[in-house]
Amino acid sequence: MHYGFVRALDGIDVHVQPGEVLGLLGDNGAGKSTLLKVMSGAHRPTNGTILVHGEDVVFSSPSDSTHAGIQMVYQDLALVDAQDIATNLSVGREILRKGPLGWLGFVDHKAQRKRAQAELDRLGVRTAAVTRPVEMLSGGQRQVVALARSATRVSGDRGGVLLLDEPTAALGYEQTQQVQALIRRLAGNGVACVLVTHNLPLAMDVCDRLVVLNRGRKVADVPTAQTDDDQLVGWITGARPSMFAA
Amino acid sequence: MTGTASTAAPTRNPADVDPAGVRWLIFVRDRGIFVLWVLLLLGFSVWANPYFASLDNAILIANAASLTAIFAAGVAVGIICGALDLSIPGTAAFGSCLCGVLLTHGWPTWTGIVAALLVGVVVGLVNGLIALRGFNPIVVTIGTLSVLSGLAAVIAGGYTIPGLDALTFMGTQRYAGVPGPVWIVAALFVLGTVFLTRTRDGIRMMAVGGNREAVRRSGIHSDRYTVLGFVISGFCAALGGLVTTALVTEANPEASPGIIFTALTAVALAGVSLSGGRGSLPRVLVGALILATISNGLTIKGIQPYWGTTVTGLLLLGAIGLEKWISATVSRRLVTTAQASAHTGTR
Repeated sequence: MHYGFVRALDGIDVHVQPGEVLGLLGDNGAGKSTLLKVMSGAHRPTNGTILVHGEDVVFSSPSDSTHAGIQMVYQDLALVDAQDIATNLSVGREILRKGPLGWLGFVDHKAQRKRAQAELDRLGVRTAAVTRPVEMLSGGQRQVVALARSATRVSGDRGGVLLLDEPTAALGYEQTQQVQALIRRLAGNGVACVLVTHNLPLAMDVCDRLVVLNRGRKVADVPTAQTDDDQLVGWITGARPSMFAA
Repeated sequence: MTGTASTAAPTRNPADVDPAGVRWLIFVRDRGIFVLWVLLLLGFSVWANPYFASLDNAILIANAASLTAIFAAGVAVGIICGALDLSIPGTAAFGSCLCGVLLTHGWPTWTGIVAALLVGVVVGLVNGLIALRGFNPIVVTIGTLSVLSGLAAVIAGGYTIPGLDALTFMGTQRYAGVPGPVWIVAALFVLGTVFLTRTRDGIRMMAVGGNREAVRRSGIHSDRYTVLGFVISGFCAALGGLVTTALVTEANPEASPGIIFTALTAVALAGVSLSGGRGSLPRVLVGALILATISNGLTIKGIQPYWGTTVTGLLLLGAIGLEKWISATVSRRLVTTAQASAHTGTR
């Protein structure tokens, strides 16, 4: 992957299993976000391949990756502030009313609210009344809504993948715990999660496996249980030599 | 409630329901303009007794508000969808002149009306497609405004086209005692409101105005909703042009920018945010009615009409002040309750 003359990613090979939470660590500019954007179809790699369930895919836009069952939670949450939580969760998969009104495109608000509440309950998150406009939510609640929007669109049985860019950057302690639990629960349902973060304790808590990037190269790929903070910091800063022979 | 996941679903919490004070503030924010209008009506009824509070005068006010309301609907839909459409006067002028030319050349009335409305739709399409190329919609629509008012003068030969009596059925003609334009406004606003709040496309259109990225990431082509917004706006403009023509039975090629500002005043009074994504047509209608009510009441009392403009301006400034205060208060209240629930909640 190149940005002009800058080689942002170089010879990186990453894979994630269904039900696994993979952490992508690295300093600023290491290529974490770029890698995530390649996976989500927002960027096209200069060369290299993306395999989803062993099948070669080419993403030319984020909607392609959506069709392949990949959902991304961005750092800017991209919620519709003036609309309520239920509508935000329903955009793109509205429930239409039954009968002639449905043929005219009439939306069944009641069913949408019910579904939104059921989905939030199933994810085990509590935000606010689903009829509350997003603009009246706190930062943490918004984050949860954005996460839930993506989480409701991936499913473990269909081999969904959830990409998260700094999901807890703006959150307080309580909300961070909630998001962590949510990620674990999704993984428990068979969703493959990829998590980009600066937050080492979070990564140690949530991730099954950690990949460290340094200047666009992969320098470590270890199960979380077999490493510790010191090692990781060494790889992130470059003080510790790469696991892979140059 | 059965949680499919291994963890039990959390029990429904009182914090899931908004506190009463907050709900009241939201009510004032969303419905305050209706209260304001009722207060105005009551005030004028007492002050301008006995002439103000009569059915005839009510119809007069509704009729006076109808033109502003039609144009305001166009402006509002444009803004809600994320673009201020300034080409509205041009579309109105060109549409009505085209209708006038067709009628004076012996075409049937309906062809003139259909042609004018088609002009609105086509102008909307062109505006939308240009704006999608990444140009600022304000500049684009200033361009089309100029083009259209020029073209209107060309086809009308530079003069107003008089004698369009065939259109009076949607002008001064009354049905069940109510003038045609009022019926047109009623139909337009009912359809528009139902579309924006009840249908999938309408809701998506509002969402595009609020946050294009959110809609795009949901795998929806947001572009077509932007174009749709311009098309509806153009349609309203052409309709407004036709009703203007019908009222005065002549088509004027001069595009008056004044109608944009009157419409914008009604839209702003209605609390439609210029940044897009929010607003409601019933409130816009009341905004237009408030303007008409003020000028009607002051006229009855024999007060110079300049005061009407001044009062409207003051109301507008008061309205935005109130909105700001309410939004700030609501978020302050909600932050305190959110913190309370965070500490009393999950564990």
